[in-house]
Amino acid sequence: MVLDKIAYASQWRKKSPYLKSALATGTLLICTCAQSFVISAIALLVMSWLAVSCGKTSPAYFIKLLAAPLLFLTAGTAVIAVNFSPDPLDLCNLAFADGYIAVSRASLLYALRLACVSLASVSCLYFLSVTTPMPDLIVVLRSLKCPWLVIELMVMMYRYIFVLLDMAVAISRAQDCRLGNRDAKTAIYSMGSMLSAVLMKALQRASQLFDAMESRCYDGKLHLLNETWQTRPSERVAAGGYLAGLAAAAFLCRSFGGI
Amino acid sequence: MTEKTILSVRGLSYTYPDGTKALQGVDLDVRQGEKVAFMGANGSGKSTFFLHLNGVYKPSAGSVYIDGVPINYSRKGLLQVRRKVGIVFQDPDSQLFSASVAQEISFGVLNLGASQEEAKNKVDAVIEELEIAPFREKPTHFLSGGQKKRVSIADIAVMEPDIIILDEPSSALDPYHVEMIDALIDRLSQRGITVLLSTHDVERAMCWADRVVLFCEGKIAAQGSPEEIFSQEELMELTHLKKPVIYQLFDSLKDAGMLPQGLPVPRTVQQLTHYIEHAKENKEQRSKTQQL
Repeated sequence: MVLDKIAYASQWRKKSPYLKSALATGTLLICTCAQSFVISAIALLVMSWLAVSCGKTSPAYFIKLLAAPLLFLTAGTAVIAVNFSPDPLDLCNLAFADGYIAVSRASLLYALRLACVSLASVSCLYFLSVTTPMPDLIVVLRSLKCPWLVIELMVMMYRYIFVLLDMAVAISRAQDCRLGNRDAKTAIYSMGSMLSAVLMKALQRASQLFDAMESRCYDGKLHLLNETWQTRPSERVAAGGYLAGLAAAAFLCRSFGGI
Repeated sequence: MTEKTILSVRGLSYTYPDGTKALQGVDLDVRQGEKVAFMGANGSGKSTFFLHLNGVYKPSAGSVYIDGVPINYSRKGLLQVRRKVGIVFQDPDSQLFSASVAQEISFGVLNLGASQEEAKNKVDAVIEELEIAPFREKPTHFLSGGQKKRVSIADIAVMEPDIIILDEPSSALDPYHVEMIDALIDRLSQRGITVLLSTHDVERAMCWADRVVLFCEGKIAAQGSPEEIFSQEELMELTHLKKPVIYQLFDSLKDAGMLPQGLPVPRTVQQLTHYIEHAKENKEQRSKTQQL
């Protein structure tokens, strides 16, 4: 929910979501195809710069976001770097049972590269999340001909997450005031009754919402205004130039032995 | 207000699937441009009644006529009815489904078959008119109660209906927003729109309504001008309503001989103040003539 607030507060909120999506997905694609340290570093820097310096997201928050998948990344890549081999490998060996737990130069490089590419890719998505609120993304998805059922579910879920969350918070607070979290047992009981109350209210709201939509001539499909922020030609040129440059750099890196 | 009857209801009854008799034989006629206030305890059937007026609920017995034509419950017929009769729901959170204000307002017009461009123009016009512009770029979940209410009225106003029904429009609002919503409703009436609303505020009904309709246990207990309705003590007791303060004050002033008998009941504080000033002047004049 914090992410939602940050996206709305972003200085880049009023940039076209098409432009931002193109920047994020373009960088993501080039970065994953290139599998290169240099390109990953460039992508990470550019995305962070756009988010923090242009979008004015607080750098601390952006770093915190990036740190979130770090644990998962280190665990995942460590498994790739470390091998079990019958013969000793070139970097580091530890005798174990009949063979060695060993790290080779190649596997270490591969693991490091993978970690860098992953981190850079995640930064692309974070850039999009901290600058573009959900409704803008939905507009992009709609024009990409994403199935309407998915779109409509997104519209409704996004709106009602907040309504139901408010409800849950209010009920929990009221329970707190009546010592509903006095010990573990009461806390579990309170949680259960809060969830069932929210479920009941959600069902009630769903039927009210349906009545309200019927009153506005709902015909089974959500017809909505497809209005969004415009791009300036200069922005399009700059984004195109950047992506072309990045692609060219990726190509060069490949030809020079894939650093 | 014209003499033309825009809405009539005959023998309307409705029983919920669980057997609750929500409405039992309701008859009502509303004239074009009329301002009707519906009053009555919670659960007396006001909201259920409203949902019959645009065909969301189908009566168990009786019928609803819009412009003299009974509601046709086919898809096409309902579309016609809902183009003419719009409902603003009590709780904006069960009406607003989109996080974007402009998208939310566009839903109804687009359903009526407007093109994207037409819809955009109409949405912009309504946003301007209802003073939504300062928060149009905020997501729905960051709006205050009063702002949400304004958006939910815009939702309906943009469809340009002939009749607008508001279910307790000022509930849970602060006085500032109550006043703003009241002004907004007045503007709708001035455009010639027939406005039906439910309220618990007797003062508001007294000064606003052309007619007050009292609901009690699924039936219309009484209807008439605010003066007629609020003068009946037994009726007030039956529906647990209080006589408007202005009316009580007017009665006490008359009883104390400070106001002459036979004046029409004042509907606003200004009107009562005017009476008092007038009475005072008269008295002063009388004492002067006596001195002479």
